[in-house]
Amino acid sequence: MWKMRHFSHWFLLLCILIFINNTQAQSRVGRYDWLLPDYVKLQYAGGIGFLSAGVGYTFVHQRIDATFFYGYVPNGIAIDDLSSLSLQFTAKLIRIRLSENYQLLPLNFGWFIHHTFGSDYWIKLPSHYPPEYYWWSPGRNAGIFIGGELKTKWLARKTPASGIAIYARIGTRGLYLASKVGNSSIPITDIIELGFGIALYR
Amino acid sequence: MGTTFKIILLFSTMFLISCEGLFDYSPYQIDFEGENKGVNATNLDRLLKANQSDTITIAFTGDTHNYFDELGYFVDKVNTFPNIDFVIHVGDFADFGLPKQYLWGNGYLLNLEVPYLVLIGNHDLVGNGLEAYKEMFGDFDFSFVYQDIKFVFLNTNSLEFAYNGNVPNLDWLSQQLFPSDDFSKAVVVFHMPPGIGFDPELELGFYQTLSAHNNVIMAVHGHQHHHEVYYPTADSIPFVNVYGVEHRMMTIVKIYQDKIYVENEAF
Repeated sequence: MWKMRHFSHWFLLLCILIFINNTQAQSRVGRYDWLLPDYVKLQYAGGIGFLSAGVGYTFVHQRIDATFFYGYVPNGIAIDDLSSLSLQFTAKLIRIRLSENYQLLPLNFGWFIHHTFGSDYWIKLPSHYPPEYYWWSPGRNAGIFIGGELKTKWLARKTPASGIAIYARIGTRGLYLASKVGNSSIPITDIIELGFGIALYR
Repeated sequence: MGTTFKIILLFSTMFLISCEGLFDYSPYQIDFEGENKGVNATNLDRLLKANQSDTITIAFTGDTHNYFDELGYFVDKVNTFPNIDFVIHVGDFADFGLPKQYLWGNGYLLNLEVPYLVLIGNHDLVGNGLEAYKEMFGDFDFSFVYQDIKFVFLNTNSLEFAYNGNVPNLDWLSQQLFPSDDFSKAVVVFHMPPGIGFDPELELGFYQTLSAHNNVIMAVHGHQHHHEVYYPTADSIPFVNVYGVEHRMMTIVKIYQDKIYVENEAF
């Protein structure tokens, strides 16, 4: 667990470094610039951490996003602190230009896979179990979400960033859906993971 | 920009206020409070303060897995019976061991009018279920004396502890069953019976410990979901296998003058 946490801190540092490098890179065109992330994100909740820091790339004319998040839940909020990594893909189906400075993306669909660190959260069934003793992996859950984003050009004039966005997302994960099926007495709000965040674009 | 900014701020604030409780940080976040903490201790306290008669009546259920609605029906039915002393859930309370499933399960049992006790099952230990159980219910192995009968709750989920040789804790069981002035007979309750998942090295010792003092009148377990009363030991201790909640059947055991009477009720 300690090693994993250590790794997570390095990952966070990497995110910051990439971003700093990223903003400086505007003034020169380097041969590895294509490696630089297109945005960084900071997210609250959404099932992947109390706070999560993310870096990501956009594809297909900014219609598809792929984001890596490092998420952290401090103890005090949970009895044990929790670290996790998630990989998230988002398809941004509708883009509405509100004005020169504002764009609304009201219908984003997403899929994520979430890996919680620690020996309790195995991905492969530990070898002492008979094959297929449990069908799911506590260490790796997948989920889906829908969300919206408001992209602005705030900060664009004063910093090398091209803009800043705020977004919200509402989702659930496979394990929650599996629990809800056949149980009308479980409120739908109990399986919802709501989150919001900010994104800073290169 | 000023106006837009204010509008965004206003809507964000409204959004945050209206959605409090939907923000989820992790499927493994344990933050139980109040009636979701120390549940077994609270209920034991209630049980031991209650009026006692010459008959003990216990309603058993178990193996909730993903049958939460059915657990609710069980609770409704038990509440219609006038003479139940307490309820025992024989484990597999949280199918994926998720803290959220612990909260759901206890949400139903909190509606019981009589005290209830929940035993640890193998599913309850997946992920950080071990911590969730300790936080919500307390110790895995525990015992109490009610009307001269000692009830011993034993963690038999050996496989979840990689067959480390300490689960079930036979030394502890042996101490609990050692005759003493405060009880005459004993009932042993556990989730997993000998078989896959129960440490094969401890199986013989387990039967021997149960039989050592000729004072165990019944062993009760779950895990297999079906009901039967059977006699795996030579000295004929009855083993009562408790229905999984999905069968919408409960097993009711009456103990009168150290004898057990097993009935089943549909719900």
